[in-house]
Amino acid sequence: MEIVRIEDLRWKYSEAREYTLKGVNLFLEEGKFLGIVGPNGAGKTTLVYTLNGLIPYRYNGIKKGRVFIYGHDTEATPVEKLTSWVGLVFSDPEAQFTSMTVEDELVFGMENIGLDRKEIKARLEWVTELTNTASLLEKPPYELSGGQKQRVAIASVLAMKPKLLIMDEPTSMLDPIGRETIFEVIARLKQEEGITIIAIEHNLELLAAVADDMALLNDGQIIFQAQTREFFNNYDLLIANQIYPPEVTQMAGILRKEGYWPGSLPLNIEQARKQISKSLVRAV
Amino acid sequence: MAAYIDVQNLSYSYPDGTLALRKVNLRVNNGDFLALIGQNGSGKTTLSKCLNGILKPTDGTVLVDGFDTSTASVAEMVRRVGYVFQNPDHQIFNSNVYDEIAYGPRNIGLREAEVKDRVIEATRVVGLKDEHLSVHPFFLPKGLRQRVAIASILALRPKVIIVDEPTTGQDMYQSFEIMNFLTELHEKNGHIIIIVTHDMPIVARYAKRVVVMAMGQIIMDGPTAEVFSHPEELSKSFVKPPQITRLGQSLLTYGFPPNILRVEEMAAVVKEKMVFTP
Amino acid sequence: MKKTLLGYIPEESPVYQLHPLTRVMFLLIVSIYPMLVAAPEWNLALTVLILGLLVYAKVRMNTIKNYIPIMGSMGFIILISYTIFGGYEPSYIPIGHLGSLTLYFQPIRWAIVTYMRLIPMIFVVIFFFSTSRERDLIVALRTLRVPFAMTYLVGMGLRSVGMVMEDFQIVREAEKARGFDTRGKSLFYKLRKFIMYIVPLFGLALRRSEEFSNALTARAYTFRGLLNQQKRADYVLSHYHLSFVDYIFIFTLILALITLVILRYHYGLMGVESTVINKLVLQ
Repeated sequence: MEIVRIEDLRWKYSEAREYTLKGVNLFLEEGKFLGIVGPNGAGKTTLVYTLNGLIPYRYNGIKKGRVFIYGHDTEATPVEKLTSWVGLVFSDPEAQFTSMTVEDELVFGMENIGLDRKEIKARLEWVTELTNTASLLEKPPYELSGGQKQRVAIASVLAMKPKLLIMDEPTSMLDPIGRETIFEVIARLKQEEGITIIAIEHNLELLAAVADDMALLNDGQIIFQAQTREFFNNYDLLIANQIYPPEVTQMAGILRKEGYWPGSLPLNIEQARKQISKSLVRAV
Repeated sequence: MAAYIDVQNLSYSYPDGTLALRKVNLRVNNGDFLALIGQNGSGKTTLSKCLNGILKPTDGTVLVDGFDTSTASVAEMVRRVGYVFQNPDHQIFNSNVYDEIAYGPRNIGLREAEVKDRVIEATRVVGLKDEHLSVHPFFLPKGLRQRVAIASILALRPKVIIVDEPTTGQDMYQSFEIMNFLTELHEKNGHIIIIVTHDMPIVARYAKRVVVMAMGQIIMDGPTAEVFSHPEELSKSFVKPPQITRLGQSLLTYGFPPNILRVEEMAAVVKEKMVFTP
Repeated sequence: MKKTLLGYIPEESPVYQLHPLTRVMFLLIVSIYPMLVAAPEWNLALTVLILGLLVYAKVRMNTIKNYIPIMGSMGFIILISYTIFGGYEPSYIPIGHLGSLTLYFQPIRWAIVTYMRLIPMIFVVIFFFSTSRERDLIVALRTLRVPFAMTYLVGMGLRSVGMVMEDFQIVREAEKARGFDTRGKSLFYKLRKFIMYIVPLFGLALRRSEEFSNALTARAYTFRGLLNQQKRADYVLSHYHLSFVDYIFIFTLILALITLVILRYHYGLMGVESTVINKLVLQ
């Protein structure tokens, strides 16, 4: 079943000279994990703002083309309804905290959609277990580490049980271990809850390991969308758009150009190791 | 040879009592391009702020070019060590880019003609255009605001440039641009560069020397290739070598070296081994 | 240790047994007491009582000394404004000379009375803010059925104070990193340069407020009210229950207030005329 359909979407912020989105077409099926990559300024954040109604409801500008969530045109659907379908996690968790304890933070959204105390309690247990935040409930947000903050931010959106979870650069502020804990949470969400996910991310090493599909956005247009393996196989196209695949993929890409790499490009260390050792064994 | 910055038994505790650094010793020399890495809260930002006297030691001493940071004047410090903050919005005070870059030189009491020369020079080095000079920095895009921030430090012509998280929020291409620019400053103008960062591929590609911190102490200090070839040691500070280094380390039994830092190096090693394919 | 608005106090502090509403009532009611009482010795007794409560609540007493300079300078300002700028009335009793200046008894007495009213009030505020978290304040307000949007604004206000203080610290460091040096400069110079700090703080606040309102929308919050007009669950209140001790406590506070009013206005006790200072000086 389709959850997102975007048809020839164009958007210009009223204070901008040029269109930020210049005819985007995108399709996403329920239960899939889509990774979106693209250089800064390509329009990635703007694109996801059109999915939960921030555009056109909170920003002024010119919109052409249409965005459908579950077949409902976003322009004809109240923003409250859109936000209950689409959960959005911003890149800076600091900026989205609205409360002084983690528990209040998680409860805030649930109260907004009108849940009762019993349901809130049940969901609190579920979401804190899923995101490993149960021990943080009593703490104020400024006492958390970066990784903990981002897990709380994800949990607070997840608690509203959105059908589609969007994460805008969820790991850009984190240290390597903080990044991995976030992607562990994402992997669990995908496996256990089957939520549809869209993630914007510069760190492709971790993204490539979990995404089903990838889309490349540049200069306000989707240049290329494909299954993850196939996506990264188009190495030259990515490099031409200033996208740097995971390092092992880059290495294989360089070798393939010189005729040294048979088969498709690896996405992680394990795949690369296997392919290298196999060909070395053959060599011996 | 005397170190340019000499940190001796440095301890620092914050006013609320948190002990952020415990008896740290570090010598930063001419010709260093150094990366300070470690988990959030390991003390790397605190240490970097102690290197130019923004923070004064609670115990121990920091000598910069022979000056003790706890007694030296602000002007003496900023001529020697420049510090670029992570978020440019914390350091933009003026209503146009020219005044913003001129702010530091004016603070240390330079004549207006000299100030102008330095602004022009710094603007050129970071790649800002003349038409940017009259713009209000608030309205520039983030990438350009960061350049303004770097230019405003360069205008003070410090020997050492410390950059906190230069690549956070940048895409890969922009990260490479910034790092290439810092490399140019290092190689052509002889600046000592210190970056504080989480970005391991960037460290592997650009830094000559790596200092690893954990729990307010330095746990490793050495050439980049050397430090990254000890993954078990690094994991104490919750740091991992870059993916390409780890690939090499997983192929040790096939005779791959444990300290490959760049994608191109790895490709060359693989190619060499595969040459014997019949 | 738990972070309160003014610092940390241990988890095992007995104050946590009290409902936040009780603590807010303590703040509101006890700070009225000194206004009713004029005789400084009674306000001194109240101060000692509150200090005792601070010790009982396990507040770190060495944080109190941070407020001593403020209290000292307040005392000085009050003394000056009552004596030198206090004017003259024929009923004033001269008690001595300071150079060409004649000192009178009544203005000095009023200075002491006013000052001794302020001191217990300050300690009540210190007590409240060092034993309560932002959440306690909000819980108390919601228990009193203050509308959600208002309690939410209070919370956001407190939260933004923390963020601005943090930004302020970094901005100061950034200024210093650019060679800005206030050492040996005049106060006027410092004040003028203070404007410099404000500029980036405004810039940051502007950017933040946009992100913040986006975050509110993303969490389905509208100031118009709830999505489906249901009553808000106020989940946080399910953690707190007014116990018997709380009722006793609040009841005692109100009873003491009424007693004070009666003693003061019906029997004329604890007024300025009945203070021990009068007896000591006038005899």
